[in-house]
Amino acid sequence: MSTSDNALMAEVSGGQVGKMAVLFERHHRPLFRYFVSMNHNRELSEDLVQDVFFRMLRYRSSYDPKQSFTAWMYQIARNASVDQAQKRKAEVVGIDEFDGQRRPEPASQAPGPEETAAKGQDLALLRRALDRLPEDKREILVLSRFQNLKYEDIAALLGCEVGTVKVRVFRAMRALEQIYLALRKEKTA
Amino acid sequence: MTCEDVKVLSADYWSHTLDEAQELAFETHTASCEVCRAEVERLGALWRSLALLPAEEPSPNLRSRFYETLAAYRQGLESAPKPRLREKILALWPKQPAWQMAISFALLAIGVGLGYEIRPGKTAEPAADSELSQLRGEVSSMRQMVALSLLQQQSAGERLRGVTYAYQAPPSDTEVLSALLTTMNQDPNVNVRLAAVDALHRFGSSPVTRAAVVQSIRKQDNPLVQIALIDLMVDLKDEEAAPELAKLAGDEKIDSAVRQHAKWALGRLQ
Repeated sequence: MSTSDNALMAEVSGGQVGKMAVLFERHHRPLFRYFVSMNHNRELSEDLVQDVFFRMLRYRSSYDPKQSFTAWMYQIARNASVDQAQKRKAEVVGIDEFDGQRRPEPASQAPGPEETAAKGQDLALLRRALDRLPEDKREILVLSRFQNLKYEDIAALLGCEVGTVKVRVFRAMRALEQIYLALRKEKTA
Repeated sequence: MTCEDVKVLSADYWSHTLDEAQELAFETHTASCEVCRAEVERLGALWRSLALLPAEEPSPNLRSRFYETLAAYRQGLESAPKPRLREKILALWPKQPAWQMAISFALLAIGVGLGYEIRPGKTAEPAADSELSQLRGEVSSMRQMVALSLLQQQSAGERLRGVTYAYQAPPSDTEVLSALLTTMNQDPNVNVRLAAVDALHRFGSSPVTRAAVVQSIRKQDNPLVQIALIDLMVDLKDEEAAPELAKLAGDEKIDSAVRQHAKWALGRLQ
C-alpha cells in the first residue's frame, strides 16, 4: 500500500524534503488542471504549480499532520493564485477598461428546454459554459468534480460548513446548465 | 425527505457517496416529486459529462523545473550550519505558547510595578486617555516580546511562528525589524531566512530595511534566499539597489540562476 499524502508531507516537514518528489508526481497534474480551469493560461498555470510546491517546501514546518494534505495544498494554491492575480493586476492596470467585450456575458434567464441534456452533449460547448461560470461557481465544480476533493476538505478550504458546500455545488450545476443551454440555443439559432 | 434536502444531497447522489438509507430516501422522494426528479436527472447527466472533458496536460518543462528547484533546495539545506550552543541554551524557554504568554505577562507586570515604584516623584492619577494609550502600548509590547522570544527558539518551526508574529508589529517597531534583519542574515535554517525576507515587505518603507536587504545579498550562501531578496528589492521598487544588482548580474562567482534573476530585476527597476 502506498504511503498517504499526509504521512509523506509529515516526513517532508520532518526534514526528508526528497519525499516532496512523490507528492509532486501525485498532484502536479490535478493542480495544473485546477489553475488552467481558473485562469485559462497554461504558462501561468505551470508557474503557479511550481510556486505551490516551492511554498510547500518553504513552509513545510507549518504543516500539521492532523490536517488534510490536500486541503492544505489547495489553500496554498489559492493563496498563490491570489498573489499572482494581484501582481498581474498591478502590471496590466488599465487594459481591462478597453477589453470589456472579452468578459463572459451573463447566462440567459430563459427557462431550459424540456429535453434532458444527458445525450449528445457537445463537450466543447460544455467547456465554454464552464469557462463562463462566475469564478466562485467554477472553482467549486473544479474542486469537487475534477480534483475529486472531499466535501469536508472543500469546506475547510472555503471556510464554510459541509452542507453549504453541497448546496453551492448544486447551485453551480444549475448555473452551468443555464449557460450551457443558452449557448446551445445560440448555436442552433 | 424534502425538496430542500434533495438540493443538499444531490452532489453526494451524483458522486455515489450516499449511504444505503440516504440513497433510498433520496430515490423515494425523487420518484414521487416530478420537479426534483427531472432536475436531478438533467444536472446528473451534466455532472457525468464534466468527467468527459479532456484534461489539460502540463509541458515536460514543469517536471524538470521542479526537480531542479528541489535539488537546489536540498543543497541549500545541506550547506546550512548546525544549531549553535546559544540556541541550545535558549531552548530552555518553554515551548507551550500558554507558558510563554504567562511568563511574558508576569515579566511585564513586574516591569510595570518596578517602574511605578522607582519613578521620580508622584504624579496625579493618569487620565482615561493616557490609561488607554498605556494599555495599547502594553499590548503592542506583548506582541513584540512574543515575536522576539519566538525568534530565539531552537526549533525552526517556532522561529517561523516568530516571523509570523512579526507581521503584527507596527512597521515603526525597530526592535522587531532588527530581529528580522538578524534572522534574515544569521538564521541557520533556509526556510526561516526566506520567511524573514517575506516579512520584511512590511518594513519596506524604512531606509534601514532597504540598505540591509542590499547588503545581505552577498552574505547569503543560498541561491533561494538571494532570489527572494532580489524579489523584495523589486517589490520595494528600490532603485538604489540597481548598482548592486548590476554587480551581481556580472559576477561569475554567483549562481547562474541568481545572476539571471538579477538581470531581470535590473530591467524592472530601470
